[in-house]
Amino acid sequence: MIITHDLGKTYGNRAVVDGLDLRVPEGCVYGFLGPNGSGKSTTMKMLLSLVRPTSGEIHIMGRPMRRSTRRELLGHIGSLIESPPAYGHLTGRENMRLVQRLLDLTDNQVTQAVRTVRLRDHLEKKVRDYSLGMKQRLGLAMALAREPRLLILDEPTNGLDPAGIEEIRRLLTKVADDGTTVMVSSHLLGEIDRTATVLGILGNGRMLFQGTRDELFARSVPDVLVDTSEPQRAAALTARWHTSRLDGATVRLSGLDDKATAGVVSLLVHEDIEIHGVRRDSQSLEDVFMDLTEERGL
Amino acid sequence: MGSVRAEFLKLKRSLSWAVVVLLPLMAVTTGVVNTVVSDQQLGNGWHTLWLRVVVFYGLFPLALGVAALASLVWRVEHRGGNWNALMGRPVSSAQVVIAKLAVLAALAAAMQTVLLAGLVVAGKLVFALPGIPPARYLLVSVVIVLACLPVAALQSGLSMLMRSFAAPVAVALLGAVGGVLLVVTRVEGVAMVVPYGLLGRATQLGTGMFVDSGAVTTGVVAALVAAALGLTAAVVAGTATVLDRLDIR
Repeated sequence: MIITHDLGKTYGNRAVVDGLDLRVPEGCVYGFLGPNGSGKSTTMKMLLSLVRPTSGEIHIMGRPMRRSTRRELLGHIGSLIESPPAYGHLTGRENMRLVQRLLDLTDNQVTQAVRTVRLRDHLEKKVRDYSLGMKQRLGLAMALAREPRLLILDEPTNGLDPAGIEEIRRLLTKVADDGTTVMVSSHLLGEIDRTATVLGILGNGRMLFQGTRDELFARSVPDVLVDTSEPQRAAALTARWHTSRLDGATVRLSGLDDKATAGVVSLLVHEDIEIHGVRRDSQSLEDVFMDLTEERGL
Repeated sequence: MGSVRAEFLKLKRSLSWAVVVLLPLMAVTTGVVNTVVSDQQLGNGWHTLWLRVVVFYGLFPLALGVAALASLVWRVEHRGGNWNALMGRPVSSAQVVIAKLAVLAALAAAMQTVLLAGLVVAGKLVFALPGIPPARYLLVSVVIVLACLPVAALQSGLSMLMRSFAAPVAVALLGAVGGVLLVVTRVEGVAMVVPYGLLGRATQLGTGMFVDSGAVTTGVVAALVAAALGLTAAVVAGTATVLDRLDIR
């Protein structure tokens, strides 16, 4: 759906996005992750041609995305970038009518979009009086009304309470089930962890990882935890060859493959230390994410 | 056409209407109060009243009013994610620029209508002038509205680029001062190609003030209209080009 090649954006001499090769497969929910300021918004703006790339190319739906071609593509792309749009002095209904006029949409498309985000009961209220969650949902309705093939959402859960976040998550799943490709960014992994099928992790404008969840887990080996009768001595012994530290009464060893794990066990047995248990730490996506970002000195 | 219709929707409950109604009425009031206080007579009936109201109105307030309107119609776009949404739609930069100008043109026309209406009411109620103003003021009004277009296009471009409400209005003030100087010093050639100068010149049409001969001739009207349309087209093309190269940040 989206392919970029060597995409970059430089402001002055500061590279905000650098050498980005995005691959967003059709029909997926692409979770675009990275700390604040890592270049997610700029990348998404380049995908929409709101910002002109300094280098590289963008292809969306097989066609090049540039200022000169953006009009053909934007009709099929719904987007919500940074803060939600909408005019505060107009009501929800008036805002939707505005989009309808601009994009030549049918009444049915508008009604459907409003129903999807569950705003039907709030359309007569001025947007100024909306809560942030309602504004966010109205923004989504404006993006969805054109029945896009691709939906680009920048931090749609930012500033929402847990219920609002859950609502957006539910919505994204529904939209994706209807066949729309969704690209959604967040600086909080937990927020899109469960919805995304493909992940892209950005740090300092560069792609740190891109692939499925499983591939991401495979990238980093969870710590080995060893429970013994003499944790102090065990930690000291293993520290000669491995990264080892005491975690409560448990020895925590990092970066061990299966062979090294066997070596550690036989060393401890040889030293007459009783082993009560050896296991891999359970690893959350959050840990992997932190590993990746720390590894690159972020 | 969709973008133009959408722009008109945004005017609902907009502060713009306050400017459209209050500014011309203030001009009429000022003209009337000056006349009454100084105990002068309207020696030449409707023509004198027109002079007292429109000449000053055209020197400063009109350009500032148009600038304020331009700032107001762009202000909503600088809020929240509206810029992103505006440019994230399959609408060309030129359409965005033209739609805003269309709205400003309508507002300028409304403003001129209020001015004319205020003038008639004041002439009838305060000075009991006979009949109605001569038809030529209608023609002059159309010329004034057309002459508002280059200023509107230029101010619209400035307000598009600047988030600030006041900065573009300040530019208009400087422009109006420059325009007045051009008109007063009778550098008509230059005044005709500077938007603010053209607006100043157009409001003097038929008054016999400064460079004006006092007669509304086909030649002068044609020159003003041609200059207004030419300047507007040039400014719109320039603004659309700038917008097309702009990064939305």
